[in-house]
Amino acid sequence: MPKQDSSKTKDNKLTSRRDFLRSAGNYTVASLSGAAMLLSDPKPAKANVTWEEHFQKNYRLMTDEEKQQAIERLETRYTEEYGKPVTVDGSPSMEGVLFGYALNIQKCIGCRRCVKACVAENNQSRGDEQQIEWIRVLRMEKGKFSEADRDQHGYPESFGVQVGGNAYKPAGVVLEGQHYYEPEQVPEEDAFYFPMQCMQCEKPPCVKVCPVRTTYRDPDGIVVIDYNWCIGCRMCIGACPYWARRFNWGEPNLPKEEMNPVTHYLGNRPRMKGVVEKCSFCVQRTRKGRWTACVEVCPVGARKFGNLLDPNSEIRKVLAKKKVFRLRADLNTYPKFFYYMD
Amino acid sequence: MTCYRFRQTLIGLCLLLFLFTTPLLGTENQTDQECFESRDGMSQVRVEEISPGQVNVKCSSTTGGVLWWGDPFAGTIPMGDMDIEADYSTEEAVVKPREPELDKNKMLTICSMACHDGNYVPIPHSKNPRRLKMHLDTVPDALNLKHGKGNIWCLDCHHLVERTKLIDNFGYSISFNQPQKLCGKCHGQVYRSWRDGLHGKRIGMWDKGGKKRWWVCTECHNPHDVEQGERNSGFAQLRPESAPNLPKGMTNANHERMHHGAHSDGNAHE
Ligand code: SF4
Ligand code: SF4
Repeated sequence: MPKQDSSKTKDNKLTSRRDFLRSAGNYTVASLSGAAMLLSDPKPAKANVTWEEHFQKNYRLMTDEEKQQAIERLETRYTEEYGKPVTVDGSPSMEGVLFGYALNIQKCIGCRRCVKACVAENNQSRGDEQQIEWIRVLRMEKGKFSEADRDQHGYPESFGVQVGGNAYKPAGVVLEGQHYYEPEQVPEEDAFYFPMQCMQCEKPPCVKVCPVRTTYRDPDGIVVIDYNWCIGCRMCIGACPYWARRFNWGEPNLPKEEMNPVTHYLGNRPRMKGVVEKCSFCVQRTRKGRWTACVEVCPVGARKFGNLLDPNSEIRKVLAKKKVFRLRADLNTYPKFFYYMD
Repeated sequence: MTCYRFRQTLIGLCLLLFLFTTPLLGTENQTDQECFESRDGMSQVRVEEISPGQVNVKCSSTTGGVLWWGDPFAGTIPMGDMDIEADYSTEEAVVKPREPELDKNKMLTICSMACHDGNYVPIPHSKNPRRLKMHLDTVPDALNLKHGKGNIWCLDCHHLVERTKLIDNFGYSISFNQPQKLCGKCHGQVYRSWRDGLHGKRIGMWDKGGKKRWWVCTECHNPHDVEQGERNSGFAQLRPESAPNLPKGMTNANHERMHHGAHSDGNAHE
């Protein structure tokens, strides 16, 4: 894990709850008067914001008033940090809406534009030191089969127990799940592509394991994270069967000029070192009626999104008319992310 | 009819070359930079500031493709009358007009007034395809039409007399801005799926009643080459965005190119 220049972190105040608790602990060990000083020290306005931010409640347990205060604190801090007016939205789920997503794997050409659009929208860390992308696109090989491999002799030297088939060069071995493909042009003739992101499970294993309940499912189906309450234990990363969650090992690198100032508390607001993040169905957009960034960018229109409770929505039409499946349905996670073919 | 397409392609190519070779490219999303939406070279958009600090689109510095719409409706016009009912009948539906894209030099009007006015150039009496004798420079793909496997020709889609228009089954004209009405003549199933919002793409508001920008056929497909050679696919290949960074300490991705199970000749991919 790379050590960051701590000078930035210092005047940038304590950057995560975990850091804060750690340093508070240090104070206690060093001297109780230190902690007392921390409490009594008259702070400048900016630091007071930080103090309150670190001792705020779990977002879900806040009253509306407390939520509003938390949001205002963040708006002030971000606006100062990024040198432009930043808004933090706190819109709750819309009535009568359950979000669903469908991706046409027959159409996807593997261009990764969705990946980069997501980064532009959702303020992920970028650059060599710490690159975070919420969407991954896997390249799946179609496979080549040749008469020559159609060997029925098992192990030719009569070792082993295999009977039949070609033990040395099995026909039908294909590459699955290549992340780092980089051809000149996509789609390639011998491959298809399989994008993955958070499936917004109805029974999310990540939520079940979170010891501080900072990740939870909202009524519109979006599984959200209150970054301020995240202790960085990464239990959810281990629990998620879809590799959806990412961890900020270091201080995120989000250049001011690339920062998207339209944010949501539970979505794309800037994150800090030591917290987990993942796809939120662009909560800052979708709760305002707008399509997600990945839906909009897909040049082949492979991505569809809408309200599962509206029988006329395009997502419901996909479910009604296409061949649809959910990834690893056997796990009973009930994803709200569907794959389909024409 | 597209008397200027060749020059345009050339300019496009130069521009692309320029784009791909300029180190300046790192400074992405400068205003006035040109990038493409779905169809490289034929769905161009210019980066513009729409409000202080906000741009209409953000482009990829790797591929020159649009990555993000600040204003999904910039540069759009109403979709216009559609004779079959769908969501666009009850919601605000807009499209990016195709005419400016096809007619950057503003020649279409002149073409249709100067020669193709219905009198000067004789209307062909037979539907037997004949080789184009003129404008070979301006319609580079016309002699090599890859659409319909030899069973259709120019005037099945282009209007007999009005060269600025397409043609429907009854001989009435269709605007270049509504190619769906033309394509739907043959591709009925795709047309239906498009009306349902399933085929193709839309951006803007997902909610019922919300305003949407609909993509039309020629924004993604090249009607003169829908076959794309051996690939036989309506969508031209694109350059992909860059792969994720390798995990720290890893120098290549050979591990994911190994065909496991193949012992003897270790046939790594490629
Ligand atoms: S896909 Fe993973 S992160 Fe998303 S809700 Fe399901 S378990 Fe949680
Ligand atoms: S943008 Fe669309 S086509 Fe490209 S990789 Fe993503 S889903 Fe596939």
